[in-house]
Amino acid sequence: MSVARGKPVHGWLLTSPYIVHTIAFFILPALWSLALIVSRWNLISPQRDFVGIGNLREAITSPRVWNALLVSYRFLAIIVPTVMIGSLILALITNALPYGKSLFAVGYFLPYLSSGVAVSVVVRGLIGFSSPINVFLRRTTGSSPNWLGDPTLATIVISGMIVWKLAGCYALIFLAGLQGIPRQVYEAAQIDGASSWRQLWSITLPMLYPSMYTVLILAVGIMFAIFTEPYTLTAGGPQGATQTWQLEIYYQAFERFRAGYGSTVALLNAVTTFLSILIIRRIMEAIGSRWGYEVT
Amino acid sequence: MRIGRRNRLGLIVLYVVALAALVITASPYVYMLAQSLAPWDEVQDTFIPSSFTLRSYVWLYTGGEFGLARPWMRGLLNSFIVTAADSIGQVAFGAIVGYALSVLAFHGQRAVNSFILFQMFYPSIILLVPTFLVIQGLGLYNSYLGMVLPYVLSVWAVFMYSNFFGTIPHELVEAARLDGAGELTIIARVMIPMSLSITTVIFLFLFMQRWVELMWDLIIVSDPEMRTLNVLLATMFGPYGSYPGPLYAASVLLSFPILILFLIFSNRFVSGVEFVIK
Repeated sequence: MSVARGKPVHGWLLTSPYIVHTIAFFILPALWSLALIVSRWNLISPQRDFVGIGNLREAITSPRVWNALLVSYRFLAIIVPTVMIGSLILALITNALPYGKSLFAVGYFLPYLSSGVAVSVVVRGLIGFSSPINVFLRRTTGSSPNWLGDPTLATIVISGMIVWKLAGCYALIFLAGLQGIPRQVYEAAQIDGASSWRQLWSITLPMLYPSMYTVLILAVGIMFAIFTEPYTLTAGGPQGATQTWQLEIYYQAFERFRAGYGSTVALLNAVTTFLSILIIRRIMEAIGSRWGYEVT
Repeated sequence: MRIGRRNRLGLIVLYVVALAALVITASPYVYMLAQSLAPWDEVQDTFIPSSFTLRSYVWLYTGGEFGLARPWMRGLLNSFIVTAADSIGQVAFGAIVGYALSVLAFHGQRAVNSFILFQMFYPSIILLVPTFLVIQGLGLYNSYLGMVLPYVLSVWAVFMYSNFFGTIPHELVEAARLDGAGELTIIARVMIPMSLSITTVIFLFLFMQRWVELMWDLIIVSDPEMRTLNVLLATMFGPYGSYPGPLYAASVLLSFPILILFLIFSNRFVSGVEFVIK
């Protein structure tokens, strides 16, 4: 053993903060969640009833849970394509700039630093009744929409906030991918007379496949974990149009104090997230193998 | 020369589009700042107010309207306490554990490494209610420690450090050890200085994430005095809807510290982010 590898006892000693933390905040809660899923308990009372698969049965037949599933897929269908295309365009633009690349990249990243609560304050102002936008709409079209009172518009508003937040961050991932494409590939294509449009479709996009894969998986994961924006702005409404999984879990566990049932909904949330990501990975791998990527 | 002129025109169009995109990403922050400085009868009615006033900030500073002394300032302080404690802990523990897992050798190391991977992919939402119960069981409900402890160690930071430290030549560690340096000294004097850009990225990401955390700080605290600024703003969002000016000022206090922190370190961030993405 070389000097650099140190004494084994030091290894364990330095790993001990991790071990203590993992026991207290991972292993213990993970085991506890198993117990919660099969019990009915209000977080405080000494009385805990064993209900077996009762929670699971209730959750699977609950219209609120099915609604949460629907809402997460609706957000996925709107946000994921928009943020993928948006961040890709941002990255392509930034990469083509001869000067100030990192300045623009940093500027586009700023929304990622925002708190959804502060952005909600801004959005509520922008779409408020007396805002310049609505005044303009009333002057030109005669009426202004009730932005958060209409299920479709409320979904679009919240989707817009999330796209705005994520696009610049994903653009950084695409930018790193773009800079990894060797210059020579483009030079060869130019010699063969390929137009820039053709180069984009035949070189850039296929070679960005690994970045697309990363961005897609990250974005899809987030679609099942939306909380802040609907919590502050719509409280899940109107008519449950923005009632996400997280809102439902929060509502059941910490407003109705149904610890067991809330944990069960959380479990279903995790399972659907996992299955959805699995399906999308399969689709991406099928596309990838057509582009000549071996995904392990 | 036709091609040259076309290129120049293309370049101008490109910069115009790039700037337009920058306006979209930056304008909510500018709007927030403008509204926070607007006279109260103009808030939200114009994009650019006719004059500027600090009334909203003064109201926030003194505003003891719900029976507390300076709740907003207390909220800002709470946010700083919780976020600083967690992000410093995450970087320190990340470096220490990452060092043990990549540079040192001990029996069981591989098992720990695989367990960390497992944890990174384990859905944290399942742990929400039981983690609440753990904190409650420790008697830490409604305390700073209750907010801090679950986040004080990040397996993501451990994973990042352990990958990055693996790329630092072993000779450096060996030389330091022959000079009589202990493990913690090596981490602080050799490893961290060698990994400043990745440390910046890890610190900024975790600081930002902790600063805007909502659900955990919302459920683990009941006392209004213990609320972080983010939670306070979220809970005042509805009731204070008719006082928009102060809400914008609070949004500025919530958003700008992190923007400034990020812009200060942005150079190092750009160079470090590539490693993290890979």
